[in-house]
Amino acid sequence: MTPPASGTRHVVAVLLAAAAGGYWLASGYYGKELLAETAITAILAMSLSLLVGQAGLVSLGHAAFFGIGAYALAGFGARLGWPPALAMAAAVATGAVAALLVGLVAVRLAGVFFIMITLAAGEMAHAWFLKDRLFGGVGGMAGVPRLDLSAIGIDTGDPASFALLALGVAILVYLLLDRLVLSPFGQTLRAIHQNEERARALGCPVGRYKLAAFVVAGAVAALAGTLAAQRSAFVSPELLTWTLSGEVLIVVIVGGGASLLGVSAAAALWIGLRHQLSTLTDHWMLAMGAIFVVLVLVAGDGIDGAVRGLWRRLAQRRGP
Amino acid sequence: MKTLHLAAAAVLASALAAGGALAQAPVKIGLVLPYSAGPFVAIANEITDSMALALEETGYMVAGRKIELVREDTTHKPDVAQAKAKKLVFEDKVDMLVGPVASAELTALFDFAHQSKVPLLIPNAGDNEVTGEKCSPWVLRTSFSNDQIVRDMGTWMAGKGYKKVALLAFDYKAGHQLMGGFKKPFVAAGGTIVTEQYPPFGRLSDFGPWLGRIRDAKPDAIFSFFAGPPATLLVQQFKEFGLDREMKLTGAGWLVSPLNLPSQGQAAAGVIGVLNYVPAIDNPVNKSYQERFQAKFKRVGSEFGAQGYDTAKLIHAALAQAGGKTDDKAALVKAMHAVRIEGTRGPLRIDPRTNNVVQDIYVFETEMQGSAVGYKVLDRIRDVQDPPNGCTLGG
Repeated sequence: MTPPASGTRHVVAVLLAAAAGGYWLASGYYGKELLAETAITAILAMSLSLLVGQAGLVSLGHAAFFGIGAYALAGFGARLGWPPALAMAAAVATGAVAALLVGLVAVRLAGVFFIMITLAAGEMAHAWFLKDRLFGGVGGMAGVPRLDLSAIGIDTGDPASFALLALGVAILVYLLLDRLVLSPFGQTLRAIHQNEERARALGCPVGRYKLAAFVVAGAVAALAGTLAAQRSAFVSPELLTWTLSGEVLIVVIVGGGASLLGVSAAAALWIGLRHQLSTLTDHWMLAMGAIFVVLVLVAGDGIDGAVRGLWRRLAQRRGP
Repeated sequence: MKTLHLAAAAVLASALAAGGALAQAPVKIGLVLPYSAGPFVAIANEITDSMALALEETGYMVAGRKIELVREDTTHKPDVAQAKAKKLVFEDKVDMLVGPVASAELTALFDFAHQSKVPLLIPNAGDNEVTGEKCSPWVLRTSFSNDQIVRDMGTWMAGKGYKKVALLAFDYKAGHQLMGGFKKPFVAAGGTIVTEQYPPFGRLSDFGPWLGRIRDAKPDAIFSFFAGPPATLLVQQFKEFGLDREMKLTGAGWLVSPLNLPSQGQAAAGVIGVLNYVPAIDNPVNKSYQERFQAKFKRVGSEFGAQGYDTAKLIHAALAQAGGKTDDKAALVKAMHAVRIEGTRGPLRIDPRTNNVVQDIYVFETEMQGSAVGYKVLDRIRDVQDPPNGCTLGG
């Protein structure tokens, strides 16, 4: 596990943001929708990257917190009529509390048992929203309000503005998580990941660190969920399916696990490929599967590893 | 002078040509269906293929304009369905939308169609509320409402001597709507519900426990609602457990849909269903539809296909009525209200009070016809129309 700190990541971050900005300028209506979806997926993937890449906790129920954030926004914003900004904050807090409850049980377990318990918790949340009547059950519920930024002259109802908003939140999340990953907290998570027994022997409260990571990841996933609910003004149990958890996990693995920028790039690749391939063929999932198998075979460390490798080789060639 | 005239004529001609080309711009119908993923891929294709069959008959033309179908895949995700609908309306400039199949996708499309005032025709989703309390002037349904399918079945069954009935459906909205819609008139007609069983929605590998409880309640018949693989499982287990010697299996007709018959085999014989369509309907439109569908796809067209075919027929008739004009969307909807068509299901129209279709409902039974299971129509309930159910479109 190489520490993610290196000056070049700032360059890569600016390049990625510039690419997103360029796409924003060049794209039409549907492109803005894709851009917003990419930003939301990137936030969700970055939150899972904290668990998988840093703490070594492979969760297969991460979509639950994404969905809980979305439903909580629908509950506070649409059902109770709170102002969207307040409802969003409350939704993120709800996601954190849900993650705390699940995490209290889950972080005691390791390996495949952790995977199973997160999967089970995710399925429980999904089943609950399937049956519930308050939010429309299987059919879901429409009418989720968008953040009101008219005070600073932004109409979030406009797809172009909303894409920018989602992009802005993604950048903010990146900056925060980047700080967190480089902090002593992040270093401790990596230490636990590398050798949990040694970390414990050194007096580190391993369980509490894992729980904290789980709660932060849950809260950020809920934040992504609130944006997803705003994007389509709509929530449904589809937001909590384990297949979505699986998709995000694939994005994280393809991105390189620990690299926030890597998983963000993988999110863009995922959304872009899905769109391009599904316009070409109804069997796009087959093609997508093949592409990702090849990617993992060729670049075992994901996009992040591949870029690093390329960078090293370029540096060597230029070097004396 | 002469050249000037010629030039003027040329300018005039090209202007006319441009005007003509404008009038020739195709009518675009956007299809928002789950083509690539999820349990409804077969239904999406059946709808699209059958719409194409109907439009082929017209040469893809109406009032001098070409008709173009623009497909978009929802990948069985509500947010993708909504984004694709927006793309169709704002980028491809379609004149109307047709879709979706699943109810979550419908919730996601409904508000968009309502707010952007683009006609949305639902070719298969039964939630009562969509043409009831939640109805919109822009959302029309050419398929059915859950209530419409089962409302008259309770009376019919009580009249045929099935006095004690067990209800069996998945525990979710559509399951409860269909069971509730059956129950009320059935009880009013003197029937008794001896037990109601609602297995959890989703994957189910064994109906054993539920069929056991139903056997203990000793009903004359089961009234059920299942579609797809669970329907096949129920039909097979009902036979395996020997329940066919004790009671009748009945239900909303999707239970023994032409899409399920190949996997159900002979176990499917002897089931009574109620639905807005069954391949055995005896009318010229249905005969020609089934002939052409079977010749092209080598299988029997299902109720989903029939709904797609009728939807395209209705759209074509409305476009013809509107003289091929699509700019005034309100007038287009008005034309859809005004037209009466003969569909595969018999006479069809859209009720302006609810925007739900008014159609005939068929009670049918499956039986062995030679070596395969086929359908026999037992009864036809004409002109079944929903009450407004809280919809205020009729004023």
